[in-house]
Amino acid sequence: MDSALILEWVIKSAILIFVLLTGFAYLTLFERRALARIQVRIGPNRAGPFGLLQPVADGLKLIFKEELTPAEADKVLFTLAPVVTVVPALILAAVIPWGRDVTLFGRQVSLSVADLNVGVLYIMAVSSIAVYGIVLAGWSSNNKYALLGGLRSSAQMISYELALGLAFVPAILLADSMRMVDIVEAQHPWWFVVIQPVGTAIFLIATLAEVNRAPFDMPEAEQELTAGYHTEYSGMKFALFFMAEYAKMIVISSIAATLFFGGYLGPGVDRYPWLGPLYLFIKIVILLFGMIWLRATFPRIRYDRLMAFGWKVLLPLALAVTFITALGIVLEMLWLIPVLSLAAGLFTVAMVHRALRRKAYARA
Amino acid sequence: MTQADLYTLLPLIVLVIWACALLLVDLLIPRGRKGITAFLAALGLALTLGLTLAQVSAAGTAFQGMVVLDGFARFVNALLALTGLLGVGLAYGYVRRMGIERGEYYTLLLFSVAGMMLMAQAADLIVVFLALELLSIPLYILAAFARPKETSEEAGLKYFLLGAFATGFVVYGIALTFGATGTTSLSGIIAAASNGDAGLLLTIGAALILVGFGFKVAVVPFHMWTPDVYQGAPSAVTAFMAAGAKIAGFAALLRVFGLAFSSLSADLTAILWTLSALTMIVGNILAIAQTNIKRLLAYSSIAHAGYILMAFVPFGNAEVLPVSVAAGVFYLVAYTLTNFGAWAVVIALEKAEGRGLDLDDYAGLGRKYPALAAAMTVFMLSLTGVPPTLGLVGKFYLFRAVIAGGFYGLAVIGVLTSLISAYYYLRVVVIMYMREGEPERVSEPWLNLTWAASALAVVLISLVPAPLFAWASQAVFALF
Amino acid sequence: MTPLQLVFLLTAALTLVAAFRVVTTRNLVHAALWLVVTLFGVAVLFVLLNAPFLAVVQVVVYIGAIAVLFIFAIMLTRREMRDQGAQLNKGWWAAALVSLLTFGGLFWLTRSWDGFTRTAAPLPTGQDTLSALGKALVSPDAFVLPFEIASVLLLAALVGAVYVAYREK
Repeated sequence: MDSALILEWVIKSAILIFVLLTGFAYLTLFERRALARIQVRIGPNRAGPFGLLQPVADGLKLIFKEELTPAEADKVLFTLAPVVTVVPALILAAVIPWGRDVTLFGRQVSLSVADLNVGVLYIMAVSSIAVYGIVLAGWSSNNKYALLGGLRSSAQMISYELALGLAFVPAILLADSMRMVDIVEAQHPWWFVVIQPVGTAIFLIATLAEVNRAPFDMPEAEQELTAGYHTEYSGMKFALFFMAEYAKMIVISSIAATLFFGGYLGPGVDRYPWLGPLYLFIKIVILLFGMIWLRATFPRIRYDRLMAFGWKVLLPLALAVTFITALGIVLEMLWLIPVLSLAAGLFTVAMVHRALRRKAYARA
Repeated sequence: MTQADLYTLLPLIVLVIWACALLLVDLLIPRGRKGITAFLAALGLALTLGLTLAQVSAAGTAFQGMVVLDGFARFVNALLALTGLLGVGLAYGYVRRMGIERGEYYTLLLFSVAGMMLMAQAADLIVVFLALELLSIPLYILAAFARPKETSEEAGLKYFLLGAFATGFVVYGIALTFGATGTTSLSGIIAAASNGDAGLLLTIGAALILVGFGFKVAVVPFHMWTPDVYQGAPSAVTAFMAAGAKIAGFAALLRVFGLAFSSLSADLTAILWTLSALTMIVGNILAIAQTNIKRLLAYSSIAHAGYILMAFVPFGNAEVLPVSVAAGVFYLVAYTLTNFGAWAVVIALEKAEGRGLDLDDYAGLGRKYPALAAAMTVFMLSLTGVPPTLGLVGKFYLFRAVIAGGFYGLAVIGVLTSLISAYYYLRVVVIMYMREGEPERVSEPWLNLTWAASALAVVLISLVPAPLFAWASQAVFALF
Repeated sequence: MTPLQLVFLLTAALTLVAAFRVVTTRNLVHAALWLVVTLFGVAVLFVLLNAPFLAVVQVVVYIGAIAVLFIFAIMLTRREMRDQGAQLNKGWWAAALVSLLTFGGLFWLTRSWDGFTRTAAPLPTGQDTLSALGKALVSPDAFVLPFEIASVLLLAALVGAVYVAYREK
């Protein structure tokens, strides 16, 4: 193996991790500012211009906080859990292509850390490992709120993983490949969000549940569980959970952008490949803003409704969407896919509406 | 996938689709009227039976040699569809009476029959394995169907755990066989074995597969689960399980051992001989001590597994094997009919909470319900092997074939153990006629039909067994 | 020793040690976690064998689904995470003897088998094993029948599982 190649990988990985970590820091600021705007407040604006130094101050504060480990905790797992949570969030980003190949210092450099031929499956595999951190954090704390939070969250993640996995399938089918670069390139005239809007919607909903964001932030429902699985954590260990959540938000947004919103594609990319990362960045920011917006808008769903929604609504719909996509490809009538899947989606919405109305009448 | 491929599996495909459709239709059938589901399930089985019989046997393989359709498969499939029909018939009133009437009962039964039929048609170890699971998993659930009754739950769990254990043996055996021959197809294994480049690994693989199937058909020393499971499971399930799982297990044993592993006879004949002898002896002797009719029939089923296994002992002798296998298949038919009849009588006398199952509860049956007692007598005589019943004819063919193969010792053991078995079978008859008692029976049309028809068939066919044996022989001879 | 061999030996050792810990550790959650390590080791072995697809599937199915369910079930059902009973019963020496004999016997019997020493044919380069595998699963010329039977089997198991777990209101 050629040593320049290894050096290239190391540099790319370092850059990626650096981007994710700073991204995490500024995403917290972005979220606080955006939420404040939506709630007609101003948000943090004292540390530095526009509050830009706020994340630095937060970080310093967390580092100097006292670390507590409950006496009855399982020490090894208690320490390991935050690490197990953060690592998948970071390595998940490895397969995301940031652009076409570029020439740098006379070398052909591809703008992704790893270009696996099973890229999509890699994402599923790594995101399925992420459950462990939360479950173990909850269990090792030896605290019933933490344990309940951990269990809830793992049940939720397992349930929505099915719909999430099925939502990957339309993209794989349409691109005829599991390699991320192929999937992006296959979206050349039409982004997959146009061909498969319902699949995209399922994907976005399921990812919200996967990262435990509002309105699916069940594991940390304060009213019921104090702080959920990280009740007993403080200081830098707590910061790691925090970091994992926001890093995952970024990564998941970039996956959504890559699979359904054309990834690094955009006007002029053919001429100037360096535009690719920029387009991807813009798309990620828009998706992140969407997540924050949802958090500001929707109340938390009740837990049984959450599970029922995942198993009885999202999963069947995802199956139908997969079937419709395959049908459209086999019949070579791509226009059929959006038409049929929108019909299926509307039908589902109508059924959910009806069921909820009935429940409301039954109560009244 | 050609039409010929699909045609080969037509009855099976129809059955599976029917089962899936039944699962949906059952949702529309209100609770308390699940008799409709039973009727629909029976209709599906009847359709399958008809299709099986109508299949013109252009003996051939399909799906790249994964499955095969020949006279043997058709014969066994017809028998299995009949088993399913009888199973539904027995369950119809029973599940309602016991308060476990659910549509899933019939769906699972259909899936299980599908697995059994696939087993009879399998020509590839992968399909053998999948068929084994498809027939077993619904049976595990059916055994536990009377949950939350503890005995039923225990039966289901025990059956599941030991079944999973047995499956492990089968898979390990298949893996070793694959390692030895580089193929899972039975014809490929035959080719590799005859080239002589298989060796010991194949023998170990075959032995492990034998262990796995030994669990399924309850051969000693893999029989421990049988009495508890047969006793704990709802009686209608036990009847179906006792017949169906045995038929399918022996059909697969025949395909795998009679054909693919026939070159291993030098190593395995002695093992099969021992297993068969042990099973007959242990099954019959342990049955003597039983006072519960379900346990008694369970040990009796173990003993009969030994008799049927006898048919496979000469599996290296190409001249005797067809005759002995035909005798084994014939015995399976005899056992199925007798078994269902006997269980129908048991169900007729069973009451809620597991009462009415002791031998003492049969006292006075001869006086109060002469027809029922007469039928039970026929079944007991048939299980013993006394004229004029099918059991005698079956045993006659079996012993004749084994003697032709030169295994005199085994035949002697078979005769002696039959004599032992007379003690406990005839005890049931004695209790029915000689003791005073006030038994209460349940009279339901399908149940009555089952025991009456079985009794008639067991007697009548024994008078003219030749056509049936000819059919069985014809089915089997096509294999060799 | 090439670096690849070193990686293999380390992974194999880790897998074995973890597997040993699965059966010896008294804490059930720890046992489940050691199982995860074992499964992960197997996934790494798949990668070393040039089978990335199997490796990823191993992680998704076994680590991501099955082991999580184990942990989940343990946490839901067990108040006491520590196994209190004796780890070995009186017949342990007999079991050990039988295991050793079986292992030794199998080892001795299969010594003559050439499968252990034969080098596998190298993978044809440029072949897309992933799509070959995918097509083989659904092609009528290959494994569509077992694939479909497995689907029916899973359906039956699903119906059964729901029935057994269903609590009537």
